[in-house]
Amino acid sequence: MNHSLSPSATLWLLLPLTVLLLVMFGYPLGLVAWSSIYVDGAFTFKAYQHLSGSTLFYRVLANTLHISAVATLVSLVLGYIIALHLAAMEPRRRLPYMVLVMLPFWTSILVKSFAFGIVLGDNGIVNQIAAFLTGRTDKFELMFNRTGVIIGMSNFLLPFTVFPILASLLAQNRSLHRVAEIMGAGPIRIFLRITLPLSLPGVLAGVLMAMTLSMGMYITPALLGGRKDLMMANLVDIYTRQTLDWGLASAIAIVLLFMSGILIALLLRVRRAEGLGV
Amino acid sequence: MSKGESFASAAPRARAQIWLKRLGAVLAWCGYLFLVVPSLVVIPISLSGSSELQFPPRELSLALYVQFFTDRAWWGAALQSTIVGLLTAIVSLAVALPAAYALARSSFRGKQLVEVLLISPMLVPVVVLGLGLYMQYQALHLVDTTLGVVLAHSVLVTPFAFVSIAAGLRHTDPALETVAMLMGASRTRIMAKVVLPQIAAPVAVGALFAFLISFDEVVVAYFLTGPSTQTLPVKMYTAIRWEVSPVLAAVSTLLTLTSLLFCLGIMALQKKSMPNSRPGAGA
Repeated sequence: MNHSLSPSATLWLLLPLTVLLLVMFGYPLGLVAWSSIYVDGAFTFKAYQHLSGSTLFYRVLANTLHISAVATLVSLVLGYIIALHLAAMEPRRRLPYMVLVMLPFWTSILVKSFAFGIVLGDNGIVNQIAAFLTGRTDKFELMFNRTGVIIGMSNFLLPFTVFPILASLLAQNRSLHRVAEIMGAGPIRIFLRITLPLSLPGVLAGVLMAMTLSMGMYITPALLGGRKDLMMANLVDIYTRQTLDWGLASAIAIVLLFMSGILIALLLRVRRAEGLGV
Repeated sequence: MSKGESFASAAPRARAQIWLKRLGAVLAWCGYLFLVVPSLVVIPISLSGSSELQFPPRELSLALYVQFFTDRAWWGAALQSTIVGLLTAIVSLAVALPAAYALARSSFRGKQLVEVLLISPMLVPVVVLGLGLYMQYQALHLVDTTLGVVLAHSVLVTPFAFVSIAAGLRHTDPALETVAMLMGASRTRIMAKVVLPQIAAPVAVGALFAFLISFDEVVVAYFLTGPSTQTLPVKMYTAIRWEVSPVLAAVSTLLTLTSLLFCLGIMALQKKSMPNSRPGAGA
């Protein structure tokens, strides 16, 4: 028996969302692309030419890639450890631990940035504890520099790496591990030969997700970084509202969109290759 | 002989396994602490009542909360965020629900592509969309209007509502609707009496997602709001950046508690729809 809607009913039901997306998403993105090549009433690539000769732009691009890569790596390693711990539990016991991962996922990034100021600042908790333990008065500089941005960003990204890795660990057939154990393989060997290879799709999904999110980050570098830690999103904002150069802001936004577009295309491929995403 | 040998080698191996497990647990706990400490550290500081940020607090007081609830700039921003969040949740459900239903009950070429396009706002860096909307709103005079923020937030959160509802619909049986139709029920009646009751939990999850993401959203709101429509996250952002007022600790605590409530609510609702989703999970 056929339970399908008629084509016209399908179209009518899709219409409201389509209109919203066209007007409030497609159009503004088109506008960004347009204003990056149409400056002062004429077609020109001078915004992109300006970027290609700008040391500021290259420095910010390098910052963005460096911070994203390091923060992704940190959140991948920590995320894997947490996912392994969660995967080994009975489902019933796992629930309260899941809250520990879900709560920061749902906590405002401003709360976390403000809190990191209290934890990492010159008179912050880390420095107080360090001073108490060592009796020395010199401070660790953990805020308004690269370290601060990377700590804050890794914290933000962590839930995004835990979830896909956990999913790929839970999807593994436990009897494989049992068989390997019976055949005499040790825990490290089992991890390296079975657990890790089978979890690679989850790892890859987590890494791509974390890279995509971190490259577009605005709040963390603005609040925890110093003047030298500007990222692409901050540069877009500066050109939009301080320099009022919308052409340049748009060109930077297009470069950012292009970079995250590549990552997202890879992410969608991984999801599809996994076969579970359908 | 051989039995004794295997025992001898098994004992240290078992011990090594236990140590590995302990090491893993210790490392995992470092991870959990790193995750939750920033959300929880604001609570004791908010109760210190002092005009300086200090940890640990020297006395207990609710002064910072009094300050929050008596300063219009603060509670006004919280009220504005609540209004924007509620309107955003309504708009996003109104557009996501029919779209998710349409895709769940139809098959056509390129359906997967349509699905990816519908969730694409969640994949684009928000600052790019913020810039585009900012330029668009300048021409339409929508900057610094509540309508403008609500529409922008609706685009951002609708994919989340859509994904949640679509997942719920995947576990419903279309045959029920066909039966209801054969019995003479109208389309609206089928929707209200057959479809919606089955997906009530995922719809509620979608609504909670929509509200909370809008309530916490800062980048787009920072581009599009002005003095008269400032939301709480925008107010917090400028406060952290320029003054670092201790009231922030009280605001942060209230927000953390709100997040905790939402998080538990969402988990409870997802658990409720679990029995249906389990068998489908392996497919």
